[in-house]
Amino acid sequence: MTLRDFTLEGLEQAINRVLAMDPQASAKLGALHGKVICVALAGTGLQLYFVPGADGRLQLLGSIEGEPDCMLTGSPIDLARASDREQSAGQLFGGHVRIEGDNATARHFSEALSELDIDWEEQLSHVTGDIPAHEIGRAIRALLRETKRLNESASENLSEYLTEELRVLPHRYEVEDFLVDVDQLRDDTERLAARIALLEQAESEGDSKA
Amino acid sequence: MADDNERTHFGFRDVDTAEKAGLVRGVFDSVASKYDLMNDLMSFGVHRLWKRFAVELAGVRPGQRILDLASGTGDLADRFAGLAGPDGQVLMTDINAAMLVLGRDRMADRGHVGNLGYVQVDAESLPFPDDTVDLVTIAFGLRNVTDKPRALDAMYRVLKPGGRALVLEFSKPLNKPLEKLYDLYSFRILPKMGELVANDAESYRYLAESIRMHPDQETLKDMMTAAGFERCDVHNLTGGIVAVHRGFKL
Ligand SMILES: C[S@@+](CC[C@H](N)C(=O)[O-])C[C@H]1O[C@@H](n2cnc3c(N)ncnc32)[C@H](O)[C@@H]1O
Repeated sequence: MTLRDFTLEGLEQAINRVLAMDPQASAKLGALHGKVICVALAGTGLQLYFVPGADGRLQLLGSIEGEPDCMLTGSPIDLARASDREQSAGQLFGGHVRIEGDNATARHFSEALSELDIDWEEQLSHVTGDIPAHEIGRAIRALLRETKRLNESASENLSEYLTEELRVLPHRYEVEDFLVDVDQLRDDTERLAARIALLEQAESEGDSKA
Repeated sequence: MADDNERTHFGFRDVDTAEKAGLVRGVFDSVASKYDLMNDLMSFGVHRLWKRFAVELAGVRPGQRILDLASGTGDLADRFAGLAGPDGQVLMTDINAAMLVLGRDRMADRGHVGNLGYVQVDAESLPFPDDTVDLVTIAFGLRNVTDKPRALDAMYRVLKPGGRALVLEFSKPLNKPLEKLYDLYSFRILPKMGELVANDAESYRYLAESIRMHPDQETLKDMMTAAGFERCDVHNLTGGIVAVHRGFKL
C-alpha cells in the first residue's frame, strides 16, 4: 500500500463527485459496465485502469490481472488540455490519442469523460504538488520512481521509517492533553448541535408562517 | 468449570461458545447505523486504502462469481459488483440482518442492480455447493467468527479449483514502538471516539480487544494452509496493523 493507492483513491473520488452531477455521462459510462479501459500517460510509464460500474461510477485501479478491453495512450499535456472544452474536440486527450483494442469502447469512454468538467491539470497537480502543466510529466515520473523505490524497499524501510517517525510522536502527557481536547471538542460539538437544532426550529417556524 | 472446548473469547472475556454469536450480533446491531462514519474516523480514512489494496489482490475479472462474507455495509461487494460486470455475480452476506439491510439500502442508492445479491449467512456454515465461486472474501470479519478453522474450511470448499480466498483483517504490528502506539490508540482513544460518535464505548472496546485476540500473520497463514489453501501469501499494510492473507485452491 503506497502513495499510489492514496493517489488513486483521491482521483477516483474526484471523478465520481463530478460524475454524480452528470447523469448523461454516467449513463454513457454505465453502458460500459463489464469493460476495463486502460489510460496510459505517454512518457510517464503511468497506466490507470478505469472500470465503470452499472451506475457509471468509475473505479480506478493501478493494476489488473488479464488484459484491458482497450488502451488509450496520450501525453499528460494533451490530457490536461482536454479539460478546456474548446480544445478537447469531444475526446479525451483532445483527440491526440492512440487507441488499441476495442475501438468502440475506447471512443465511448473517451467521449463520456471529455464531457465531464474535470480539471485534469488541477487533479494531477494535487497529486504532484502545485506545478505548471509542462512540469506534470516530469513530476509524475519522479513520483513514480519514488513510489517504486518505496515499494521495493518497503519492508526493510518501513520499520526503520516508523521507528524514526515514532521518536517524534507525542509523549504520554501530550496524549493526555489530546484527550482533554477531545472532551472539549465533544462539549463544543454538543453546543453546536443544540444551536443548529434551535436554528432549524426557528426556520421551520418561519416556513410554517410563510 | 465448563469444558475448554465450549468456551471461547469475546474480546478478553471468556464466554460460552453459543453465547458468542449472540454477543457479536449485539455489538454490530448497536453500531450498524454509525458504522460507515466510524470506519472513516477510526482509521483516519485509511480503511479505504486497505480495501483498495485487497481489491487489487483479488484480481477480479468480468463474469466471475464472488462471495463476500461478513460484508457489513458492503464496501468490498460494491467494488466487486463494478468489476464483475453484468455477466458476473456478487453475493453480499452477513450474519447480522440489520447490517445487511443497511448494506442493501446503500447498494440500492449506488445504483446496483442485477449482479448483486444479498443473503444472511454465517461464515462458519456456508449454504452453498462445493466448487462454485471464483473468489471468496472476508474483510474485518474473521476475527468475529467463533470457529475460524471451520470458516476457512467452508471458504475452501465453495471455491472452484483455480479460485482464491482473501482475508483482510487486523493483524500484529511489525515492531514494538508501533505496537505501543497502537495499543494506546485502540484502548484509550478508540473507545472514546466510539462513545462520542456512536454513543457506544463498549462496542469499540470489544473491537480493540477482539483485534488483540486475533491470530497473527504466521498463525493465520498456517490456519489457511491447514484448511487446504495453497500458495498462501501475506501482505502487511500500515506496518502490520492490517494484513491481507491470500490463498488459492488449485
Ligand atoms: C467490522 S464488520 C466488516 C464489514 C465489511 N466487510 C468491511 O470491511 O467494512 C464485521 C462484520 O462481520 C459480521 N459478522 C460477525 N460474525 C459473523 C459470522 N460468524 N458470519 C458472518 N458475518 C459475521 C458482522 O455482522 C459485521 O457486519
